[in-house]
Amino acid sequence: MEKFTVLAILLPSLLFLSACSVRSDAADLYTQEAPIEAEINLPETISANDKITVQAVLTQQGKELEEADFVHFEIWKQDGSVRYPMQEAEDVGGGVYQVMADFVKEGLYYIEVHAGNKGALISPQKQFVVGELSSSDLEALKQGPKKSEGTSGHHH
Amino acid sequence: MNKGKEGKPAAKGTSKANNMYKTIWRWHFYAGIIFAPILILLAVTGSVYLFKAEIEETIYQNYYEVTPQGEQLSASEQVEEVKRLYPEALITQYRPGEDEARSSEVTIMENDGSFTVFINPYTGESMGTLNNDDRIMEKIEKIHGELMAGTIGDRIVELVACWTIVLMITGIYLWMPKKKKGLAGVLFPRLNRGKKILRRDLHAVPAFWVMAGLLFLVLTGLPWSGFWGNNFQTIITNSGAGYPPSVWVGDTPVSAAQTKDIAEVPWAAETLDVPLSKIQGLVPLSLDKVIETAEQYNIYPGYTVFIPQEPEGVYTLSIFSPKAQDEATMHIDQYTGAVLADYRYGNYGIIGKVVAWGITLHKGTQFGLPNQLISLFVCLSVIFVAVSGIYLWWKRKPQKGMGAPAAPALVQKKPFLLLMIGLGILFPLVGLSILFVWLMDWVLIQRLPVVKKWLNA
Repeated sequence: MEKFTVLAILLPSLLFLSACSVRSDAADLYTQEAPIEAEINLPETISANDKITVQAVLTQQGKELEEADFVHFEIWKQDGSVRYPMQEAEDVGGGVYQVMADFVKEGLYYIEVHAGNKGALISPQKQFVVGELSSSDLEALKQGPKKSEGTSGHHH
Repeated sequence: MNKGKEGKPAAKGTSKANNMYKTIWRWHFYAGIIFAPILILLAVTGSVYLFKAEIEETIYQNYYEVTPQGEQLSASEQVEEVKRLYPEALITQYRPGEDEARSSEVTIMENDGSFTVFINPYTGESMGTLNNDDRIMEKIEKIHGELMAGTIGDRIVELVACWTIVLMITGIYLWMPKKKKGLAGVLFPRLNRGKKILRRDLHAVPAFWVMAGLLFLVLTGLPWSGFWGNNFQTIITNSGAGYPPSVWVGDTPVSAAQTKDIAEVPWAAETLDVPLSKIQGLVPLSLDKVIETAEQYNIYPGYTVFIPQEPEGVYTLSIFSPKAQDEATMHIDQYTGAVLADYRYGNYGIIGKVVAWGITLHKGTQFGLPNQLISLFVCLSVIFVAVSGIYLWWKRKPQKGMGAPAAPALVQKKPFLLLMIGLGILFPLVGLSILFVWLMDWVLIQRLPVVKKWLNA
């Protein structure tokens, strides 16, 4: 009889132990970061010499990030022939930061947004096209993104 | 048919105590015979593994050592070289050298095999490639952790670890002096009381001395076992007192970007085989930025960068350093470079900290050489005790049968039964194996006279 008592105690405890997994909200119990999230908005199609607005919509911890410590934009052409140096973006409120830009040369471009707030840093990089792509652009696309030249690390 | 004629102290006790003694002896006896060989194997491989760093330093010197000269190449340039050498391979990890005289390591997957390519960071040249499965320390670790038998092996090792605790508890009971006759045969062996006594003392006395060390190794080893360890880690992580999720168990955060925002890579070079709109989008962070972040955040040198393989994956920086206090696990969004989680030793819960220390002490890295030597001494003592235990049995064994003490009806021993149930709950594999033994006893041994006689059941 007692064998069954043992069985009755052991089996449920086994099941209890093997059934557990890490809760999806377990991270809330430990130290947490407050990463900035960014959405970079450009017109869907851009032609040479268009005057466009480049926007970054920033959020942090689910809220619009207003008055970030800094938001800088950096734009360059794939082959390095065009560079917009790092410039401070205009804070238009509601977590939206923007610069105006226009491009004389057609081709493949990159924009990198450097943003920081209360110790959290981001530097997302977006690829975009002005007009048509050249064969060198196509080759570069296949190779994958080159690292942005010059601006390694962010100096505030 | 029992061995009481050897003048065991319990022989003079009441028959109830005597029965208890026999029961415990019987369990100690069978558990010892079954698990001692594996325990010896674990102690031998463990002894070697303690010196992993020193051994690898020597045998892989040609892969490890570089002469510092000028500037180091960037991480992405070094990875480029590996891509050139192994165009079909998947790049999974990058490990910058921990000091300026150490090569970088790039881990790749090719044809289901995992390889490490060693790169000289000053020249960008490959210093050689090792198949990770062939590395001797990898093999030793596989034996120590899973007897080279995958999940089944892992469970067997865990079972041995748990049963070692049973062996220690039953062993203490057998060792416990029953009469006040001084410390001879208790804390030091009796050398001049004949061979039989000496044999017993050479097992029981060192066993007592090594017990604390062995118990420590068992308890610190269990958290990384596959069944007990995983469940234990899960429970403490869920309670907030353990490792933060993803350090040991639990999910890694994901990169926040939506698929539609990520730039597609066209495969045909001459023509654009994806629409322009899909070319426009976020591009992944370069590895160099990840290394920069690691440096800015002072991640302990010798860390590994796990490279994301999925669109929603993250870069993970991970270091299980020699000292527990230097450990770090960091997750970085692969598009924005945002630090999504940064877990250091200081962020572990209290039990997590204890487990982390347990692991570095178990591996012998926490305190360097003294740590290694003490652990080695414990391993060698465990081997001695296991061998002397087997020898003790071999010498006492009658011609016929196993020589185990007769089995009294086990379930009548309430305290013992409760102890076994307790251990069975704490270590379900022990419980499961006890159940198995009982079932075997019940359906087979008690019904087959030959077996019953041989096992003295």
